[in-house]
Amino acid sequence: MAVNHAEFVVLGAGPGGYACAFRAADLGLNVTLVDPRADLGGVCLNEGCIPSKALLHAAEVIREARHVGDWGISFGEPKIDLNKLREKKNGIVKHLTDGLTGLAKRRKVNVVRGTASFTGPTGLEIDGAAWSFDQAVIAVGSSPVRLPGWPDDERIWDSGSALELRQVPKRLAIVGGGIIGLEMATIYAALGSNVTIIEFMEQIAPGADAEAVRILHDVLQQQGVIIHTGTKVVEVKATKAALGLSCEGVFDGEVKADAVIQAVGRSANGHLVNPQAAGVAIDARGIIAVDATCRTNVDNIFAIGDVTGNPMLAHRATHQGHVAAEVACGHAGALDTDFIPSVAYTSPELAWVGLIAATAKERGIPHKVSRFPWAASGRNLASGGGDGMTKLVYDPDTKRILGATIIGRNAGELLAELVLAMEMGATLEDIALTVHAHPTLSETIAFASERALGTLTDL
Amino acid sequence: MSDVTASPSVRALAREKQIDLEILAKDLGRTTLTREDVAAGASGPAAADGTIYWDVDHSQYGPVSEEPMSRFAQVAAQNLAAAQTLIPAVTHHDRADVSAIETFRKALKPEAEARGVKLTGLAFQVKALARALKEFPRFNASLSADGKTLTLKHYIHIGIAVDSPFGLSVPVIRDVDKKGLWEIAADIGDLAARAQERKVRPNEMGGASMTITNLGGIGGTAFSPIVNPPELAILGITRAEITPIWDGEMFQPVPMVPLDLSYDHRVINGADAARFTTYLVNLIADPRRIMV
Ligand SMILES: Cc1cc2nc3c(=O)[nH]c(=O)nc-3n(C[C@H](O)[C@H](O)[C@H](O)COP(=O)(O)OP(=O)(O)OC[C@H]3O[C@@H](n4cnc5c(N)ncnc54)[C@H](O)[C@@H]3O)c2cc1C
Repeated sequence: MAVNHAEFVVLGAGPGGYACAFRAADLGLNVTLVDPRADLGGVCLNEGCIPSKALLHAAEVIREARHVGDWGISFGEPKIDLNKLREKKNGIVKHLTDGLTGLAKRRKVNVVRGTASFTGPTGLEIDGAAWSFDQAVIAVGSSPVRLPGWPDDERIWDSGSALELRQVPKRLAIVGGGIIGLEMATIYAALGSNVTIIEFMEQIAPGADAEAVRILHDVLQQQGVIIHTGTKVVEVKATKAALGLSCEGVFDGEVKADAVIQAVGRSANGHLVNPQAAGVAIDARGIIAVDATCRTNVDNIFAIGDVTGNPMLAHRATHQGHVAAEVACGHAGALDTDFIPSVAYTSPELAWVGLIAATAKERGIPHKVSRFPWAASGRNLASGGGDGMTKLVYDPDTKRILGATIIGRNAGELLAELVLAMEMGATLEDIALTVHAHPTLSETIAFASERALGTLTDL
Repeated sequence: MSDVTASPSVRALAREKQIDLEILAKDLGRTTLTREDVAAGASGPAAADGTIYWDVDHSQYGPVSEEPMSRFAQVAAQNLAAAQTLIPAVTHHDRADVSAIETFRKALKPEAEARGVKLTGLAFQVKALARALKEFPRFNASLSADGKTLTLKHYIHIGIAVDSPFGLSVPVIRDVDKKGLWEIAADIGDLAARAQERKVRPNEMGGASMTITNLGGIGGTAFSPIVNPPELAILGITRAEITPIWDGEMFQPVPMVPLDLSYDHRVINGADAARFTTYLVNLIADPRRIMV
């Protein structure tokens, strides 16, 4: 049997894999990109970032239409055509994945549809066919964690099936109050489900600033979402009428639901490619460890994206993809930053980067905090925004920003200024002396800086 | 996160040039690094400041103790290091007959006592230098930072390097050409005394035409002073000594003062320096000429 050869092969065509493949092609390598999916884009485009954001947009429109009742404008109850909504979302996804196919073609990337696994340090098998390669990149992403001991039942979904929009259940339970769980709650609550979130940790959005999370928590409750934190699901009973989740902890009792979404995290897919055959180290959780240059312990094999562990975010995958391609071409690339922004596209949005105050305290890092409440932001009030906050954690000596959290409309977009500020080593004064347009939400960042410096006149 | 601040593109450049930013920052004594720092730091280990040469654990060779460099001394050290690296300096050596000055000084002694002024040889040398600068205007000048323009000064201020317990300072006597010997002598006495107590005001320093550094009271036969930028030259003086001088028939015992003129060779060439010094030597030998 003839052996195919790939100079540079990328396993997985998610945001990490395709970015890597395209960058490598731009740098002049002969690139093969392998993925079993019909469309490029991985989890992010097909069943993650993009479809979720499309449905979150729909949810926001529903909510906004309801809110403007106070402004004397009413549209009546929304009529939701689920098929049409699903088609719209699928159309957006298709548009983007087709775009990727075009970009791959233009770069003469050889796209191979199939499942790859290693057979040796320079050998692969793709759907039974033998391949050899010079350099390889593992970019096979992650999969939703399945809780053990749960029954097999069509009404138990993961995030992927939830985004398929099969139906709007009357009662929806979401197990896991992390970013994905909260986004699902935001979507289905707007579509009309009675949503209950069950989170094991003390707060929803674990890892985010507690004060900001409190604001989100309260708003979700106002939207009708029931939240049980510090609570564990110990048993699931499936009957014809409903799924019954017995809970223990802060909430003791049973939650009955017509559908349940498991959103308890994602596990790395490292095992899917049999990395041991190539000598690549993998841990029990399926994570393949890499250094800042994205190299694994084997010199000619890189790994990028979710398969390399937390934080499992598309923009990290993309940056790692570029690094791997550059390093493979002999350039001095590296992902040398701790500032990877996190965004929950809830309503309001919750976005943060760098240190939160609690972590700074825990690690004994000297820090101070400055807040600007959005109740004092003209733009926020004038555009119907509710509670929100811009919160900066800074070094009391140098006045450099150590971390930032924003809760409020468009927080995800606003955060970019602070990520750049931190990468540039900007001080509070740098931000305060930068003219921010009025009235904008971005002003709240300048205001929080001015407040810390004692130069604020808007509070 | 590291304590060194550098923007992402600067970090990328450092990676490319294989420069460790932590080390570069330490070498430069800074916490913020720019593109220029990294570009310069790449030109070789010596440019990365060469401080590695001083990075030695001396205690491995025997007992040692440490003493901090005062802020004052650190600033002076930086200025001297910059002057030494940036100025291609040459030192011209000569000596001048001070018998006439000494005779004159002795004659004026009673009057000096009456005035309460200490009339030193230095006062004469300052006055002579002012006269020489008037004669050679290109020595009373400064080069622009870009090296494209020479600024000629229409005033004559002379800096006097003063040694004090705090370190070196250079108070400046203004408009020396317009002052008489008594006034100059009084100025020197006043500034030198106040320098000992660090009471010279900032506006009494800087702006000199040239500096005199006088080790005559201590000793030595010659040295190579470092030009005090932005001045073009510095005059070093060591101890006058009775020297046998051949007068054509026999050796005469003559008190001669050694003069060392370090100058910025970018502006002043060797022949001009020799002419300038010869002129100065003649003025000192016959101070009446200062008047002419
Ligand atoms: C509901 C949801 C919403 C999300 N929203 C966001 C968001 O808003 N922002 C954000 O940053 N992140 C978001 N994420 C996370 C984001 O999707 C991931 O971080 C990102 O997709 C990781 O990219 P990746 O390239 O590592 O892998 P993936 O996108 O997981 O792609 C891996 C690819 O590898 C392929 N593959 C698997 N096995 C093999 C094999 N053996 N051979 C070849 N190919 C293989 C898979 O088919 C897949 O296409 C979301 C995730 C979910 C589930």
